[in-house]
Amino acid sequence: MILLKLLQSLFNTLHSEGTPGQVAAGMALGAFLGLTPLPNLHNLVVFALILLLNVSFGGAMLGWALATPLGFLLDPVFHRIGRVLLLETPALTPLWTRLYNTPVIPLTNFNNTVVLGSVVFTCAAFVPLYLLARVGVDRYRVHVAPKVMQSGVYRAITASKLYNLYRLFKPQ
Amino acid sequence: MSPPARIALFRWKAVIPLGLFLILIVALWLLFADRLGRMALEKGGTAALGAKVQVDRFHIALTQGQVIIGGMTVASPFDSLKNLFQADELVADIAILPLLERKVVIDQLKASGLRFSTARTSSGIVPSKGPSATSQIMANTRSWAAQPALQVPVLQLAAGKLSIDSLDPRNLRTVHDAQALVTRADSSRQAWVAAEQGLDVKGTADSARAFAARLQKASATDFALINDARRTLDQVKQTRDRLTALQRNVTQGTKALQQDVAGLEDARQRDYAFARSLVKLPPIDATSLGWVLFGPAAVEKFQRAIHYTQLARHYMPAGMLPHEDPAPKRVRMAGTNVRFPQEHALPRFLLREAQLSFFLGAQPQAYAGTLRGLTSDPALYGRPTTLDATATGIQAGALFDHVHPLSRDTAGGVVQHVALPDLRLPSLGIRLSPGSGQTGGGTVAFGFSLVGDSLRGRWSVSTAQAEWVRDSGGGPSGQAASLVWQVVSGIHQLDLTAELSGTLTAPRLNVHSNLDRAVAERVQALVGDQVKAADARVRAQVDAAVNEQVAKAKSQVAGLAADAASRLGAQQGQLDQAQKAIEDQLARLTHGIRLP
Repeated sequence: MILLKLLQSLFNTLHSEGTPGQVAAGMALGAFLGLTPLPNLHNLVVFALILLLNVSFGGAMLGWALATPLGFLLDPVFHRIGRVLLLETPALTPLWTRLYNTPVIPLTNFNNTVVLGSVVFTCAAFVPLYLLARVGVDRYRVHVAPKVMQSGVYRAITASKLYNLYRLFKPQ
Repeated sequence: MSPPARIALFRWKAVIPLGLFLILIVALWLLFADRLGRMALEKGGTAALGAKVQVDRFHIALTQGQVIIGGMTVASPFDSLKNLFQADELVADIAILPLLERKVVIDQLKASGLRFSTARTSSGIVPSKGPSATSQIMANTRSWAAQPALQVPVLQLAAGKLSIDSLDPRNLRTVHDAQALVTRADSSRQAWVAAEQGLDVKGTADSARAFAARLQKASATDFALINDARRTLDQVKQTRDRLTALQRNVTQGTKALQQDVAGLEDARQRDYAFARSLVKLPPIDATSLGWVLFGPAAVEKFQRAIHYTQLARHYMPAGMLPHEDPAPKRVRMAGTNVRFPQEHALPRFLLREAQLSFFLGAQPQAYAGTLRGLTSDPALYGRPTTLDATATGIQAGALFDHVHPLSRDTAGGVVQHVALPDLRLPSLGIRLSPGSGQTGGGTVAFGFSLVGDSLRGRWSVSTAQAEWVRDSGGGPSGQAASLVWQVVSGIHQLDLTAELSGTLTAPRLNVHSNLDRAVAERVQALVGDQVKAADARVRAQVDAAVNEQVAKAKSQVAGLAADAASRLGAQQGQLDQAQKAIEDQLARLTHGIRLP
């Protein structure tokens, strides 16, 4: 059921709901959830942004789904980046020391090499990801969507009433 | 064409679902916090100790700032079927605000019903999965105890003839050293001969003598010839200087070789010991027997002290530098967590004071103690961790001072009139009960300090009611075990002392007891002659294997020294003669007047 709902939201997101910019912003925010280790405070903030900002929720879920395996693959790179920043850049040590001893900030687990490395990487990649997703959605809607919408599978999925539950979060 | 519709930035209707989501998270936390806390404590404790940590009950009462832990069992990382300790209940008063910095500060902890070294039914040792600090520390501790300096000889009274058929000359150090010495002597000889030939002493001397003969026919006005004579004389002197330098080298070289010859005797002594170890000749002197009887128990005691001290040094590191720890395992790569201590800030973990209530002995009596200043960042806390327990019959204390770069760890205690754990002599299948509390028990004292890597330790057991028991598990039942049993079973007074000194890498352990002499006398009476005869045979076999090589090396070095001295002396003589011949002729021609 959940899978069906996700597929519905995915198709509707890609086909019509929201502007390509809203979908791309949702995907970029969703990528944040996928690229960085999930159970950390910063991801609660990202999740709140996905809900509160008028971005595509379906796009965010799609971005999350696509970015998660990538996150696993890139973990060694994130660890290396985090290590360089936390341990091998003495100029940053006073900053980390201050943050480490500031209330709430340590709950983000920023002092973990993989967490910091992935957050820094994702922040740096946010705008390129957004632009890439925007171009991708544009092209999909022009070249691929008409064919998909004609398919029987698509019609079967969108016919489900569960789809209506999803509409609560569709972009306005 | 109409302008594109303006898109709102916020989706306000999502505030309610977001609020519900946050409420759901809080509800889940309230539901599962106790379980998660228990799992975290068990997992973290197990990883830190390398032995199972189990908790029956765990409750976080956040509104009261309390954590209550019930039925805690911590297994021993050394004895698979024993617990390090068990606690009925631990009640911790936790400061709330530091939790926002992920710092755990316990203002007061009440630990009740602590029991040490209790039995367990299943193994509590957790094998390490992959490298970890704890497994590394355990490996280091084991290799510390396995050092040759701490190896205890086996008391084994071999029956019948003691033979050393397995003695292979190739394994003897003396043979290796002697062969190497012969090779070095050869190399030295070749090098010196080459250097000597390079000097061409004979050529220089012959040439000088021939020139002196020419000078006999020269007149005082033959200035060119006189100048040539002076140059020849200078050449002779230079050659003699180089020859003198070579002589010095030869003298130093022969001295070094002669020292190596003397070193062969040390190697021979080591080979005697090696050969003795092959036939396992039993130690027969009192000093060695003290070591044999109680050495393993002493090593085990100090090994544990070193292990726990090293754990404390790892988890309570000195200094204020960023500190790296492996992060807890998760589905994704764990990475490492880095701590950034800051002056005047709170440590990551701090237990300000713990009131400990514990039981000792088979018929438990309650005792109390206090632990203060247990922290992950001693430099931040600024005071050492202390433990003290004083009550009737017990006095114990510990101090872990990691505030300064040089860590100082000290622990000690004296326990009197309490039923003490048995002392096992596993190699002999004998167990010593130091006396029960009913009969007055015994006195056990233990002191240990590790300052930097300097060790100092003392363990003593004194009792007048020692009861000796043969292990029912069918332990060693050989002649040695029987002999020791015959000696000790009638002795109820035990005064045992083990003293440790030196450094972690070069420890020295001395163990002695009042039983040593008694056992030594019996061993000597029983197998003393046999051991002495076997020892003589061992020496003879070693001598037979090494004498030829040693003699060859000695003769080579002696011959080389004599030969070098005589050859260089003769050459020195030739140069002296040639120099004198030229100087005589020059004196005749110039009548002692030095011309320009």
